[in-house]
Amino acid sequence: MSDAALLTLTIFTPTIFAVLLMAFDKKAEEGMRVFTLIGTVVTFLLSLMMWQRFNMEEAGYQMQVVCNWIPTWNIEYRLGVDGISLPLVLLTGLVTMLAAVASWSIKEKIRGYLILFLMLETGMMGVFLSLDFFLFYVFWEVMLLPMYFLIGVWGGPRREYAAMKFFLYTLVGSVLMLIAILMFYFNSSQILDGKGIFSLIKLAEIAKSGQFNQNMQLIAFILLFIGFAIKVPCFPFHTWLPDAHVEAPTPISMILAGVLLKMGGYGIIRIAMPLCPWAAQYAAWFLVVLGVFSIIYGAFAAMAQTDFKRLVAYSSVSHMGYVLVGLAVWKINEAGQTVNPDLWLMGMQGAMYQMLGHGISSAGMFFMVGVIYDRVHHRDLNKFGGLMQKMPLYSGIAVGIFFAGLGLPGLCGFIGEVFVVLSIWQFSKTLAVIAAAGVILTAGYILWTIQRVFFGPEYKGPHGEDLSEMNGRESGVAVTLLVLAIIFGVLPSIMLDVMNPSTVALTKSLSEGYSNSAGSQPAAVSTPQVSLTK
Amino acid sequence: MTPNVYTATSTTLKWLLGTAWLLPLAGFVIEIFGGYWGGRKTKTAAWIAVGCIATSFVLSLSALLVWRGATAEIREKQATALAEHDAAHGHGHGGEHGHGEHAHAASDHAHGAADHSHAHTNHVHTDHADFNPLRTTFTGEFYRLARFGSVVVSMDYYIDGLTVLMFTMVTLIATCIHVFATGYMAEELTEHYEDHQVHLSGGRHFHRPGRFYRFFAFLSLFCFAMLGLVLAGNVFQVFIFWELVGVCSFFLIGFYVERKSASTAANKAFIMNRVGDFGFLIGLMVVLTYFGTFQFANTSPDEIGSPGLFQMVRDTHGHMVTEGDGREKVVLLQSGGNTPLHSQDGKQRVIPYWLLIVAGLGVFAGCVGKSAQFPLQTWLPDAMEGPTPVSALVHSATMVAAGVYLVGRFYPMFTPEVLLTIAYVGAITAFIGATIAIVVTDIKRVLAYSTISQLGYMMLALGVGGWMAGLFHLITHAFFKSLMFLCSGSVIYGCHHEQDMTKMGGLRKKMPITAYTMLIGVFAIAGYGLPGLPINFSGFYSKDAIIASALTYVSLNPQHFLLFYIPVVTAGITAFYMFRMWFMTFAGTPRDHHVDEHAHESPLPMVAPLCLLAFLAWFCAFRGEDGGLAHQILSSEPTHVRDGLEHGGILGLSLPSHHQIHEKHATAGWVALFAAGLGSLISYLFYCRRTLDAGTIGRQFWVIRDFLIEKWRFDELYDVMFTRPVHVIGAWCQGFDKRVLDGLIHLASHLTLQTAKFDRAVDERLVDRIVNICGEVTYATGRSLKGIQTGRLRQYVMFIALGVVSLFVLVFAFLPRS
Repeated sequence: MSDAALLTLTIFTPTIFAVLLMAFDKKAEEGMRVFTLIGTVVTFLLSLMMWQRFNMEEAGYQMQVVCNWIPTWNIEYRLGVDGISLPLVLLTGLVTMLAAVASWSIKEKIRGYLILFLMLETGMMGVFLSLDFFLFYVFWEVMLLPMYFLIGVWGGPRREYAAMKFFLYTLVGSVLMLIAILMFYFNSSQILDGKGIFSLIKLAEIAKSGQFNQNMQLIAFILLFIGFAIKVPCFPFHTWLPDAHVEAPTPISMILAGVLLKMGGYGIIRIAMPLCPWAAQYAAWFLVVLGVFSIIYGAFAAMAQTDFKRLVAYSSVSHMGYVLVGLAVWKINEAGQTVNPDLWLMGMQGAMYQMLGHGISSAGMFFMVGVIYDRVHHRDLNKFGGLMQKMPLYSGIAVGIFFAGLGLPGLCGFIGEVFVVLSIWQFSKTLAVIAAAGVILTAGYILWTIQRVFFGPEYKGPHGEDLSEMNGRESGVAVTLLVLAIIFGVLPSIMLDVMNPSTVALTKSLSEGYSNSAGSQPAAVSTPQVSLTK
Repeated sequence: MTPNVYTATSTTLKWLLGTAWLLPLAGFVIEIFGGYWGGRKTKTAAWIAVGCIATSFVLSLSALLVWRGATAEIREKQATALAEHDAAHGHGHGGEHGHGEHAHAASDHAHGAADHSHAHTNHVHTDHADFNPLRTTFTGEFYRLARFGSVVVSMDYYIDGLTVLMFTMVTLIATCIHVFATGYMAEELTEHYEDHQVHLSGGRHFHRPGRFYRFFAFLSLFCFAMLGLVLAGNVFQVFIFWELVGVCSFFLIGFYVERKSASTAANKAFIMNRVGDFGFLIGLMVVLTYFGTFQFANTSPDEIGSPGLFQMVRDTHGHMVTEGDGREKVVLLQSGGNTPLHSQDGKQRVIPYWLLIVAGLGVFAGCVGKSAQFPLQTWLPDAMEGPTPVSALVHSATMVAAGVYLVGRFYPMFTPEVLLTIAYVGAITAFIGATIAIVVTDIKRVLAYSTISQLGYMMLALGVGGWMAGLFHLITHAFFKSLMFLCSGSVIYGCHHEQDMTKMGGLRKKMPITAYTMLIGVFAIAGYGLPGLPINFSGFYSKDAIIASALTYVSLNPQHFLLFYIPVVTAGITAFYMFRMWFMTFAGTPRDHHVDEHAHESPLPMVAPLCLLAFLAWFCAFRGEDGGLAHQILSSEPTHVRDGLEHGGILGLSLPSHHQIHEKHATAGWVALFAAGLGSLISYLFYCRRTLDAGTIGRQFWVIRDFLIEKWRFDELYDVMFTRPVHVIGAWCQGFDKRVLDGLIHLASHLTLQTAKFDRAVDERLVDRIVNICGEVTYATGRSLKGIQTGRLRQYVMFIALGVVSLFVLVFAFLPRS
């Protein structure tokens, strides 16, 4: 299979399966579910194939596909993958596949659900693989619509409210992004003598050479950042998340937390920063403060929740704060040179690893909440207890996954979190201390939850007689997630090695882009006063 | 040692200890899965666990022997050199001022002349370089976790005399405790275990299947984590296993998950530890930012030039090379071979001195959490909710000692200021723990507070410069404390889960082995022995060493006199409450006949470990500081400890040298012995002879008694200071989201709706109205014109004619005439 076919198929296999679903008889629900599952498995296998073909030594984009799409405006169908997007593509394939298994719990209007579900995957894959700004935008919107319906139709009691909130928030983000896209198009058209472009690679090159002026960068960065920050989500743009999660059905919560939130972080690292390096550095302080604040704020808010799903949703706010912090711990000296580039690199890779780790642990947490909700139909934390007696396997795995969320060493949540935290000190000592204090709060709310839900002598809520152990399908998903959490916690290098060359190249080009935009002499990454070389 | 021998030994040790480390993990996996699918009535899980840990012990012992064999030559050379040095310098020095040269060695670095780089080349003390623990240390990498530019984070090993000793000690005690637990936990071998401490809503007792396998699985997992912590070759890896032992402790404290008290205690333990780990993280940040590595040291011959932390912060003589004063003071980093370390652009690499203090305090904060030191000591007594073997292994002998171990391991990084903090924290902890232990009546809790107090002792010893004393006490304490905990376990087992000492008494007749092995433990912890005699209770030697170090430190730094008086007073209190416990439990007459009637000696698997541990508690420190144990520890002593320090650091603190300590030894020994004797005597009068009545005295001093029973009120204080504010702030955040953020969103949507309504109103009332008016006007006009339409031809012709005429008139009137 050619590279072009591989990437294209990874994106559009779900669509093909969605179209074919039309051919099923309305009553063949089981068949449709299995067929959808096959679709997601095929997609995941394709993404694995991409990993297998991926050259881990190379920093740039690989397996690029370029076709003209709308030549008048230089819009291209341009796909490609590098060390930053590949892990997220894999994560998308995996989480979607597991969510498809979890979709057996959906009982109504199956066909519509499954079609939208598959369209959603196309949108997500497209976002991570496209290298043309316009194409990116299209996929971004493609993903938005199915999500709206999935929450709004198959959600809980307040689903319309939640879906509307989600849609409006995200739409605001998209509109801001659209403005930024046009800004880049017309600016590049000025720079390139009337030939505006949408190619992210070329735009990043222009940015690196410092040709976008500072004001333009700043405005574009603010627009893009707000758009992506809504998705991350970071304080104060986060209030759509708890509502969306609480109302969304379990598999959709898994995708929402496992993949959709990562698009915010991905957008910042793939678009906002490379296209506006000067502004990214200019705003670094603000970003780190916002991230640290989100960490603490999310943890505190999680502590106050009584709804199990809301608690997990707030824990996402807290955990995604680390992503923002890790990306932005970029410090420069008076000469405009990057200080301690190795530690910034650590923060950046930590942030990306945090996205992966959170993708697994939060998807797992939402799944575990979903399992118990399917049985007792409530999520009130004060009305659980004693699950360890009734459902030992479930409780054991759930405790493991919650510990992954807590950031226990040996599990996936630890690596990203600790590397990000360790990288902050060189940026700001105060913020480092505050961020580190997050570990105490996280332990607090997670352990308290574990105690209230799993420990204790007896179950206190309604429908106690329905507490049966997980079935094979459920244990399959749960065990897979726990095993992955352990693997990612013990052998982080399997993913960090994939990311390494691309992130190294990114930090270098950002540093250059900054010095070029700042008008100082072009300088490579400088050695800091206290270098870290041995 | 030639590079070949080094590599060969390093590989052997790596495999031996690596296997010893991973075996319990394999055991855990088999036990947890096998147990889940297997029956509840089989002891297989226990035997697998015992097999794993016993094999680990054998491997550790072999590693100890291999290490001793490989380093025998070097150690001998170093010993000879030291003896010569002592012969040359030791005599004729009277008192602390006789060490002028030592002082010179320390102070010329402290004052940091600009000629730092060549200060050592022809120094008078070059012979000191002959002792360097790094020469008998083997380091290397298991696998790499991550690489960020030049920063490499990996799983390493660091094997020196202390590592192999700790391995042997931990696996030996763990084996004893595993065997003991096969008997102690036998009640769990059932499908229907009835828990009398848990009451269900219907007034029934709680029933559940036994959890025998789960207990052993977590015990194995704990051993894995603990051994990993000891083997760790970098401080980041220590942090990883630090947290893992924490979580194992969480599971073991909360073993009885259905008991609210147990799960709360487990949470408390974990969160308290996390508070310490928060400090640990800050320490790690500083270390990483300024040193760029986490490795302790790198002694591998193929990697010369990539020094570890210890090699960077001190030169091979063990001196910190500093420059500047006050806040400007910096430590110049070394490259591992007495040459300064330069960065890529050729600048000298430095770390500000105050940040080195921050790093030290940070790492120590982690130790405070793990070793239950003041102010984070409150979790340890609650941890007694776990089964007794857990208390013996995790919460007395090994895990809680990890904090002490790490302070010992990280010792070269600590500045005198950090050491002073450690000493004070240790002293305060020792005192608090001992005072509370006086009033506690739960047999396990007495031991828990005694553990806190003894850990404080160790910290104190390390803080006052008695490196060897602290770690010596760590080992001896591990033996006698695990012994006493197992004895208490045996008592609890024999008395059918009665833990209250006020209901016991006279048990020595019913359970003689337990009683007398326990008595050995009590003698050991009280520190009985005769100075000069080669065979004394192990605790005597180690406590003696600690008091001697403290005395010397105080004589050098008289303003810190409390650091001597507190441990001496505490030694007295320790003897008092330990004998109190023994007398209340074993001596006199039974207080509660119900308990006494059913009391019985424990079965063989439980008493055999007691006997072995009693033997070790008595004899492990054979010949004291001249014995094998002390020498083994000394082989890892950081280079700079031997010579002490005079007026170092910012505060001008002095640390005692070996000579100085040695001179105070005899005095200290007698003082400690006197204190212990006094304590035991009072205890005897109170609780055995009953000449004095404890109850009366307690009533007279009820303020103090209640204060002690309330555990110095730390729990209330923390509840008010931290727990409640956290919940309040959490509620605020929640409220802010709901009211302010969502409020804004709702306001926005409300406004949009209102605008839309207004828009509709405008549309309907204004725009439509105008349109309608236009329409109406047109209509009305048309209607009014209707009258003209008559249908009469003549009238129409007249209209046309009139129209034409008026058109012409208009044309002529307005057209410009050309």
